[in-house]
Amino acid sequence: MTDLTNRETIEINVPNISKWEIIRKDVARNKYIYLMLLPVVAYYVIFHYVPLYGAQIAFRNFSPSKGIWGSKWVGFKYFEQFFDSYYFGRLLRNTVLISLYDLIFGFPAPIILALLLNEIKNDIFKRTVQTVTYLPHFISLVVVCGMILDFCSRDGLINNILNYFGIESIPFMIQPQWFRTIYVASNIWQGIGWGSIIYLAALSNIDPQLYEAATIDGAGRFKQALHVTLPGILPTIVIMLILRIGQLLNVGSEKILLLYNPSTYETADVISTFVYRKGILEASYSYSTAVGLFNSLINFALLIVANYVSRQLTETSLW
Amino acid sequence: MKKHVRKMLATVLALVLIIALFSGCSQSSGTANTNEDNAESSNDTEGSSSEASSSGPEALTLPITTEPITLKYFWTLDPKAATSMTTYNDVACFKKMEELTGIHIEFVHPPVGEEKEQFNLMIASQDLPDLIHWDWSTVTGGAAKLLNDGTIVKLNDLISKYAPNFSKLMQEHPDWHKEAILDDGSYYYFPFIREDESLRLSSGFQMRADWLKKLNLNAPTTLDEWHNVLSAFKENDPNGNGKGDELPFVAIGQSRLQYFEYAFGITASFYRDPSTGKVKYGPAEAAYKDYLTTMRQWYKENLIDPDYAATDTKNFEAKVTGNKGGSYYGMLSGNMGKFLDLMKSKDPSFDLTGVPWPIGPAGKSYGPMAISAVQPVGTVITSQCKHQKEAVKWLDYCYSDEGKMLFNFGIEGESYKMVNNEPTYTDTVLHNPQGLAVSDALIRYAMAVSNGPFVQDKRYYPQILVYQQQKDTLDTWIKSCDPSLQMPPIMLTEEESQDFATIMNEVNTYVQEMHDKFIMGQESLDKFDEYINTLKGMNIDDAINIEQSALDRYNARK
Amino acid sequence: MHIKKGIGDWVFDIFNLILMVFLMIITLYPFLHVFFASISDPAAVVQHRGLLLKPIGFTTGAYKLVFKNPMIPIGYKNTLIYVTVGTAINIFLTTLGAYGLSRKNVYFKNHIMFLITFTMFFSGGLIPTYLLVKNLGMADTRWALLIPNAISAYNLIIMRTSFEGIPVSLEESAKLDGANDFTVLFKIILPLSMPVVAVMILFYGVNHWNSWFNAMIYLRDRSLFPLQLVLRGILISNSTEAMTAGATTGADIEQVGETVKYATIIVATVPILFVYPFLQKYFVKGVMIGAIKE
Repeated sequence: MTDLTNRETIEINVPNISKWEIIRKDVARNKYIYLMLLPVVAYYVIFHYVPLYGAQIAFRNFSPSKGIWGSKWVGFKYFEQFFDSYYFGRLLRNTVLISLYDLIFGFPAPIILALLLNEIKNDIFKRTVQTVTYLPHFISLVVVCGMILDFCSRDGLINNILNYFGIESIPFMIQPQWFRTIYVASNIWQGIGWGSIIYLAALSNIDPQLYEAATIDGAGRFKQALHVTLPGILPTIVIMLILRIGQLLNVGSEKILLLYNPSTYETADVISTFVYRKGILEASYSYSTAVGLFNSLINFALLIVANYVSRQLTETSLW
Repeated sequence: MKKHVRKMLATVLALVLIIALFSGCSQSSGTANTNEDNAESSNDTEGSSSEASSSGPEALTLPITTEPITLKYFWTLDPKAATSMTTYNDVACFKKMEELTGIHIEFVHPPVGEEKEQFNLMIASQDLPDLIHWDWSTVTGGAAKLLNDGTIVKLNDLISKYAPNFSKLMQEHPDWHKEAILDDGSYYYFPFIREDESLRLSSGFQMRADWLKKLNLNAPTTLDEWHNVLSAFKENDPNGNGKGDELPFVAIGQSRLQYFEYAFGITASFYRDPSTGKVKYGPAEAAYKDYLTTMRQWYKENLIDPDYAATDTKNFEAKVTGNKGGSYYGMLSGNMGKFLDLMKSKDPSFDLTGVPWPIGPAGKSYGPMAISAVQPVGTVITSQCKHQKEAVKWLDYCYSDEGKMLFNFGIEGESYKMVNNEPTYTDTVLHNPQGLAVSDALIRYAMAVSNGPFVQDKRYYPQILVYQQQKDTLDTWIKSCDPSLQMPPIMLTEEESQDFATIMNEVNTYVQEMHDKFIMGQESLDKFDEYINTLKGMNIDDAINIEQSALDRYNARK
Repeated sequence: MHIKKGIGDWVFDIFNLILMVFLMIITLYPFLHVFFASISDPAAVVQHRGLLLKPIGFTTGAYKLVFKNPMIPIGYKNTLIYVTVGTAINIFLTTLGAYGLSRKNVYFKNHIMFLITFTMFFSGGLIPTYLLVKNLGMADTRWALLIPNAISAYNLIIMRTSFEGIPVSLEESAKLDGANDFTVLFKIILPLSMPVVAVMILFYGVNHWNSWFNAMIYLRDRSLFPLQLVLRGILISNSTEAMTAGATTGADIEQVGETVKYATIIVATVPILFVYPFLQKYFVKGVMIGAIKE
């Protein structure tokens, strides 16, 4: 029996574990995992990190015949050129706005489709809808944009429908205020089916026992969707959202080039299209690399923030 | 958390720096040496023919070499050839060249599509062929840069020694000489040369001839006449369907509309003022306001397709073939030829005619005919070529009389015959038994319909125009065109080019936006002075000065 | 499920049905348009504006033009190779990566994740990558299309997220029974992840099928060209820009340039369309979990 009146402090022998000890133990325990990760890391190092020195083209006056190391170092010249541009503010604004519209309306669309598809009982109908809705993804952008331009022209299909209801024709492709809507709506049209695939896969991972339990608890379809389905695919949604936020400034030029014209530059001219036009005047790898680097920095910063917020609010995050 | 991120960032950066140091260092490309190396090796007397004496180039004797030599030749495969061939070695004229010269050409054809990427990668990786045929106006800093960097070889010496035919041409045509050299007098390429005016104009105003006939009108020659004709198209229902749905003038965006600027003595970009010889920028001139006023009026009267700003090629073609469009600016073959083809069976009354360059307030019928014969596309010899002498001789043959016939008309007896002493294409070309289009058939024998290091013969063009309307149109356009506004082929230095591009990208954006706003009525023309001020604020004057110095350098060329 | 359907349910079902049908109509239309245009009379296609609800005239000229190109069978063969071998490599590496990064208590997990995510944003660009591939001897070989893009960080993240969703208890009990990580991966995780594997096959496979850019950059040997590169060539050769001089002979050759554009899309996409329905059977709700749980 311990004499509790004895005020000696009892020493507990806890060994001082150094960080290297922890790592050694970890590697030993997870040796197969690290073995698996070896080719993956090697791939990234070789094919993504080794060529990374090319990013310095943004800081040099790159000339293909001089090579990267032989080209003259100019520091932030091209960045300044970009920031000092008369249109810098507008380009940034247009890029962000188009991206936000796309995020707010375009991001939830495939999720909603997946949820609605989940409610369809008839398997054949469900599969048919799935297969049909993802078709537009495969039609080349040139053809899709040709259709859009045609449908939205002053005497095109959409205006014909409007006229039928007594509304006057609207020159959609000439008025800047319509551009974002047309861009995002056509994105949804073309991408909703393909985009829903990943969520459909996530849906099939939900343990059906959870649904059974919810039914027993008396939950109707809507409640089940809210308390079983949505939480079930939440990690997927969150990760996709983080990645999407990390692409905020990546509004690609291909589609906009096909849809815009000087009348809509006000809302349609984005960073990538401006850089594209500059590239036609004079092929400058350096300038476009500098702009790209700027874009990437902002995007990456946004991703880090999104990742942090997500880690605090949910349990899902990239790291 | 923050510490976490910082630690990881540090790890990444360290990793990146280490790897970059090890890998990047090995990629240094030193091309400065190779130029000298090759100059030495090409002085070896290889193959036949003795070294010429000091005066004048040695005469070209065939074959050029008795030992087998292969030259690697980078050349974009023309889309017309790509339909039936995978290499230019299948083209009759190149086969003949090999026979005659003894030199085998190994063509390197980048896949049809993004040739520019291929070209840049090739230069960047310093994996150069012997010869490169390319459009040098698209290279930043021009070929002068490549010459300075040692990628390509300066040709003056080689030409004076081994290229008698080319030298003779340059002597006989001092203007060609001036157009083919750099500002410092260096020859750097063997250019494609369009010998005659008739080869340098392939687009212009076109109009529905049947509509004109129906309304008893002649093709307009002045802007006022244009207004009358377009109004008549709008009001008098030439397409006969009772609806006033005619679009008297249609355009694929503003660029096709802007050719009317010529009538005001300006162009849509940089031009030469005929009275002073100085460089001016059209959209900053006072006459531009007059142009805008006229177009704005026409637009208001619905003489111009209200949707012109958003019309793409497909819509444009639909409007013309759908009997709505009455006139437009377009290509001789790509538009006129194509439309006549398409409508032949559907609507035999459909007819097109070319319209002469209109005379406006400027009093002259200015037009965009290129004044230079020498084109920016041509062949250079790279510093990695080990047989520079033989390469020059091969290229020189292309400029000889026989070479000219070979590259323009192909093989006598097969693709052409001499009729009344004029080379005339045979049915193999004009009415190909396998059903190939004329240009597709021709390119199996000769390169006239594409380009190359040779002189394009003016006799080739009228022959391949299938329709009489096309031949007449070409005539109309050439005869009425006053090319005094056009700029000669000036060259900007690398630094000028970069500054120019920075300024012009902004200027172009602004000018293009305002052009449509002024014409479509969204901006009042009272704001014109404000518009000019904005242009000045964008440093348009610096851009004009850059062009002016380049022009001065050009004029000073000897 | 044995709930009795209430009125709300019926309304919802009908609404859902109508919505799905509407969605199908507007997403099917572009494909139909392209198909009808590809077999229509070229002149009519040029003239046509608005909806195309049936072919105008009938001609197979565009398809004849495409298929008589001798590169087409070569293109198909190559693409098949790239799709099968390429996707296999992709899935193999991605699975290894996703598994390793989804386990708890892996010290370097977050570091590696960061490293990989970093590459989604920063790259050296085309020229250094090109030089690297060249220096590794892969240029102008099939490997150039299989290795440099072997892993997509985006796909890796998706797969990892999916693996993370599998209950840890399954792994723990397996490990208690003496299984090592390889066993856990192949016997437990993968069988439960068929939906996401199916998605990976679809994403990577379609990517290989559609790709032409890398082939254009790295390949000179025409016998290695994938289908899309061949089709692009045909498309560009027949476009208006290519016609700078002389149109037709005036004889009755078919002016199929217009419709070739549509025919190439059909030729390019129809084969891949059959893959998805085939993969759909893997999108089945959690059948496996029950089975594994014994």
